[in-house]
Amino acid sequence: MSEMILQVNHLSKSFGSHEVLKDIDFTVAPGDVTSIIGASGSGKSTLLRCINLLETPTSGEILYHGENVAGRGVNAAAYRSHVGMVFQSFNLFNNMTVLENCMVGQVKVLKKSKEEARVHAMEYLEKVGMAPYINARPRQISGGQKQRVAIARALAMDPEVLLFDEPTSALDPEMVGEVLNVMQALAQEGMTMLVVTHEMAFARDVSNHVVYMNQGLICEEGTPEDVFGTPQKQETRDFLSRFRRN
Amino acid sequence: MDKLVKLGQDIIQLWSKYWPMYMNGVKNTLILALVATAIGCVIGLICGILNTIPYTKNDSLPKRFLLKLIRVLVRIYVEVFRGTPMVLQAVFIVYGLPYFTDNALRFNNIWVAAILIVSINTGAYMAESVRGGIISIDPGQTEGAKAIGMTHVQTMTSVILPQALRNIMPQIGNNFIINVKDTSVMFIISFTEFFAAHRYIVGVNNMYFPSATIEMIGYLTMTLIASFLLRLVEKLMDGSDSYELVQADQLTMAAGTYSHPDKGTPFDERSKEYRDRTKLALKNRNGSTRGGR
Ligand SMILES: Nc1ncnc2c1ncn2[C@@H]1O[C@H](COP(=O)(O)OP(=O)(O)O)[C@@H](O)[C@H]1O
Ligand SMILES: [Mg+2]
Repeated sequence: MSEMILQVNHLSKSFGSHEVLKDIDFTVAPGDVTSIIGASGSGKSTLLRCINLLETPTSGEILYHGENVAGRGVNAAAYRSHVGMVFQSFNLFNNMTVLENCMVGQVKVLKKSKEEARVHAMEYLEKVGMAPYINARPRQISGGQKQRVAIARALAMDPEVLLFDEPTSALDPEMVGEVLNVMQALAQEGMTMLVVTHEMAFARDVSNHVVYMNQGLICEEGTPEDVFGTPQKQETRDFLSRFRRN
Repeated sequence: MDKLVKLGQDIIQLWSKYWPMYMNGVKNTLILALVATAIGCVIGLICGILNTIPYTKNDSLPKRFLLKLIRVLVRIYVEVFRGTPMVLQAVFIVYGLPYFTDNALRFNNIWVAAILIVSINTGAYMAESVRGGIISIDPGQTEGAKAIGMTHVQTMTSVILPQALRNIMPQIGNNFIINVKDTSVMFIISFTEFFAAHRYIVGVNNMYFPSATIEMIGYLTMTLIASFLLRLVEKLMDGSDSYELVQADQLTMAAGTYSHPDKGTPFDERSKEYRDRTKLALKNRNGSTRGGR
């Protein structure tokens, strides 16, 4: 079990009396590309946000290399620097250029020199095809470009896992492809990823593990072949049929 | 018409005789307003930052208590100094201190007293502005910073405050302009600013109206120049609207300046609108509260 990067045990999260996550168990092994699918409001974002400690779980544990990070007295910042996150709304720093966005974490958190950080940031900006835009500010680039910068920013921290929360949902349709291509390339290089997505093609073709969430519960999980090919639960079949129609 | 000519002559007469006194007043007013606005901004910044430190249920009890206490203290400070006239505060500090301490504590330097009072006042107004400026930055950026492992302090200094400062620039300017005018009440503690010069001069020769005209022109000139400089600073802080495309390998875009005037996603529009809206709201709110002072 200790070779797992993340192990979530009996995780629950309530907002007031609203129980959004109910007794979630699952694990992330190195190299896993896990897609989390499910209807809007089923708790997918909350799960990712709990894993990154942006939300405080109500109960349960999140073991990072066997160590519980969900309790009191945990250095959340240090933990988060190992677990990157890419948001639906990009969340780039508006007061910085593209390059600075990808450097600031390395300099402030990882205490690298500016030069080191710049070289490393450039490496990933080139990988996501944003190297020509290093001097642009977030307000000057398109949504797809912003998301690629956000991915480069997360990668520049050399995280062990990358969490994606609907990275293409805020994008115009013609920009979805450029972001998915970057993510697919990452998956092929062996990056460990946890992706909340409504892109069923991505879930089916790129990930090696699919989790279907329904009303705060993990309803069904397995390989893409299992979940998409021979779904066991009626809820899963109903959910997937909505995507087949169009 | 001859009234105007007469006024002109009187002004010239007053000015040629007393210009060193007026100019000394202008100098003192500007120094006081500038220094006090700067210190006030620092006070406001500290209060605004302390006031926005987040805490969660997971934090220890002492930490939560301390943060709550800080918020209450800042609240009291803001309400007391915003809710009482500066002229009375000046009297309280300068005459009240020796009264209560049997002369053990007193201001030997009138500059120190004046700067202290105006700074504390400005700080009370800026505390609210800074808090508004901080909470107007969309929380997504804070989460973006947290997600790469930045601490609260790092997030503040690198991401939030630079943007908050830009957003509250209009209020900093506003406070400076108000300080230029409102330091005129400091004559009460015998501080020789621009208005005190007027009081002295008319006490000697009774030329009330011509001297008041000089004062009006003087104050207006100071505040207009301040407004102009402020605009300039804001422009500079906004930076260029375009950027250099860095030529990489086979990319075929034209070299040089390339800008998207209005290209973007619906999201861009929203965030820009959001920013403008909050900026406007901040401006309006501040204008109305401080206008009453
Ligand atoms: N901060 C919050 N406060 C209260 N309720 C929340 C909060 N965040 C999410 N929720 C609720 O939790 C449920 C699950 O939300 P979310 O995790 O965003 O779902 P998903 O990402 O699957 O669409 C929703 O009903 C939502 O209203
Ligand atoms: Mg969501």
